[in-house]
Amino acid sequence: MSFLLHSPLEQFEVSSLVNLQLPVLGYTNISLTNLGLYTIIAVYLSLAFHFVASNNKSVIPSRWSISLESSFASVHSLVKAQIGAANEVYLPFIYSLFFFILFANLSGNVPYGFTVTTSIIVALGLSVTIFLGVTILSLSLHKLHFFSFFVPTGAPTALIPLLVPIEIISYLARAVSLGVRLFANMVAGHTLLKILSGFLAPMFTSGIIAAVVTLLPFTIFVALIGLEIAVSFIQAYVFCILTASYLKDAIDLH
Amino acid sequence: MPQLLPFYFVNQLTFAFVVLMIMVYVFSKYILPMFTELFLTRMYITKL
Repeated sequence: MSFLLHSPLEQFEVSSLVNLQLPVLGYTNISLTNLGLYTIIAVYLSLAFHFVASNNKSVIPSRWSISLESSFASVHSLVKAQIGAANEVYLPFIYSLFFFILFANLSGNVPYGFTVTTSIIVALGLSVTIFLGVTILSLSLHKLHFFSFFVPTGAPTALIPLLVPIEIISYLARAVSLGVRLFANMVAGHTLLKILSGFLAPMFTSGIIAAVVTLLPFTIFVALIGLEIAVSFIQAYVFCILTASYLKDAIDLH
Repeated sequence: MPQLLPFYFVNQLTFAFVVLMIMVYVFSKYILPMFTELFLTRMYITKL
């Protein structure tokens, strides 16, 4: 019963694993945290997946390399459809973003694993950086003509003073909504799983009849884990397709 | 909410960005050209 007293948000605490404290520059604390370890795990898994499934560049694909080639083709077609074939220079960034978020989400679905994207600062840091980068790109390409993006095409002249502030606010909201969407989905899913498992575990251990009866809610719990795995894929895809869409808006201004 | 404790904010951001930059570098230099080469080879084999 003691774990029922723990908060379901405790799983999101960032704690130090290896710590180096130096009395230099005031006070320097360099630490490998659980979040840092899981970012290293995410990048190791995504790079290892690519090297292991590459099938030695063989023309005839194996089953693993088919999955790899189809994921490449999906992200490539996403970039071509959103940004255009002339702007494939952004493919490495979108591709890396997709696999980083995907493996960060999936490694959190392993029991007792830590989900990197449940950190608000990581999710918002990515989204604000992408927003700033996209805005700087658009300003460098279009200079002052960038501000024509806030005047919708075909809008009546009398409505423009009302529409422009609304467009500016919705543009600025992209910086927050992109990261918060990913953060909230991950946190909500993991919090729900923690709360349900907090109820199921004592039910399983309180007797043979209770354990048999608990199998029914446990199947619902397993289905929710499947949903969480699907949400991991979907959120990585949505983050990347929206990044590509914002890049397209920055390059084409419509 | 533990995500709002600022002590490890710089640490989290540093790890996330360094790791993402490593991924962008490795993907753009080694892995994505390998895919392009593979698809080009298959296209040449089927067309020629």
